[in-house]
Amino acid sequence: METDTATIRVARYRPEKSEKPYFQEYKVPYRKDTVVLDALNQVKAEQDGTLAYRWSCRMGVCGSCGANVNGVPKLTCATFLHEFKGKSLTIEPLANFPVIKDLVVNIDDFMEKLLKVKPWIIRDKQSPPEEGEYKQSGKELDRYAQFSSCINCLLCYAACPIYGLNEDFLGPAATALAYRYIADSRDQGKKARFPIVHDLEGVWECTLIGECSVVCPKGVDPMLAIQKTKILGAMEAPKTMLSPETLKAILPRGGE
Amino acid sequence: MSTKKTHYPEIPRKNLGPGWWLANRHYTVYMIRELTSFFVTAFSLIYIYQVYRLASNPGTYSQYLDTVRSPAMISFSIVALGFTLFHSVTWFYLIGKIQPIKIGRKKTSPLLALGINTVFLVIISFAVLQLFIVGK
Repeated sequence: METDTATIRVARYRPEKSEKPYFQEYKVPYRKDTVVLDALNQVKAEQDGTLAYRWSCRMGVCGSCGANVNGVPKLTCATFLHEFKGKSLTIEPLANFPVIKDLVVNIDDFMEKLLKVKPWIIRDKQSPPEEGEYKQSGKELDRYAQFSSCINCLLCYAACPIYGLNEDFLGPAATALAYRYIADSRDQGKKARFPIVHDLEGVWECTLIGECSVVCPKGVDPMLAIQKTKILGAMEAPKTMLSPETLKAILPRGGE
Repeated sequence: MSTKKTHYPEIPRKNLGPGWWLANRHYTVYMIRELTSFFVTAFSLIYIYQVYRLASNPGTYSQYLDTVRSPAMISFSIVALGFTLFHSVTWFYLIGKIQPIKIGRKKTSPLLALGINTVFLVIISFAVLQLFIVGK
């Protein structure tokens, strides 16, 4: 196969050497099937062992190799070098996250948000295993199937200007996963999740820019999950407002 | 041997600056869509004012019409029409994304929702024109 050479410009941050981030250029050989992650691996193995980046599966499943490639959040294992032939190629850490080293970002904020939405099936009462599995039809599965494909790669957070402007925003992937369980017919955790997704920093912060769905490498549509959650919340609002608990809390109490 | 780890500082997260919407074509289109709301509101307010003038004092209505027919107002109306059409088309497309039309178990492209809504827009606009202008 024909081999060519590309120059890649990689963002470096080595706090043990320098306080300031900088760019470093590397020349890497590539073929038609070389992806950006291969180029980073080539640099690490043969040119500069100090380069730090995350990766694991190399096949678009683990979601750990995300980076901003020419300003666009992408999985480096699914971005081919030949697509940039004749253009400059700059690789930076995912935007909107603190940088620990080179291309490695701190994702603690997302991990906290992910736990907050309780991404597991909640039941009012667990039925014993001998009663068998909770059954579900194909139609019921269709309601949430695409949202269960999220691999937590965080490209959507790097692409979301709302998250870029407001770190407290729950964000696309956490909401997509919340909706994945809210829409699951086996789940009974709506009451536990609604206060989180409908919080001031929840779904109502989203103004429908839609870039999260554009960059998702797994075909998940977080923007759709956010809007569906808004619709469910709006439908639930009159019930909540007229519930005995709310009325008791807001109405004056005679004689007290 | 010491096992103490050194923790180095991280580069803090960068908050986006005011020009963030120029960074990418999708962001810019979004911002234009949001900006169009101003023209939709302004045009609606002018229209409500026109109806109010006609209802309250038909005598001065022709005076009002002269103002509306001034080159400045005509230019504004043309710009407002352009932005209103852009507003409608982008929102029609978003309707198709948020509530995709399903044929069986298959979801259709948002372009179908855009097409159907645009056809309705044309039919309703034509009916309104017939009613108020042609039928006068």
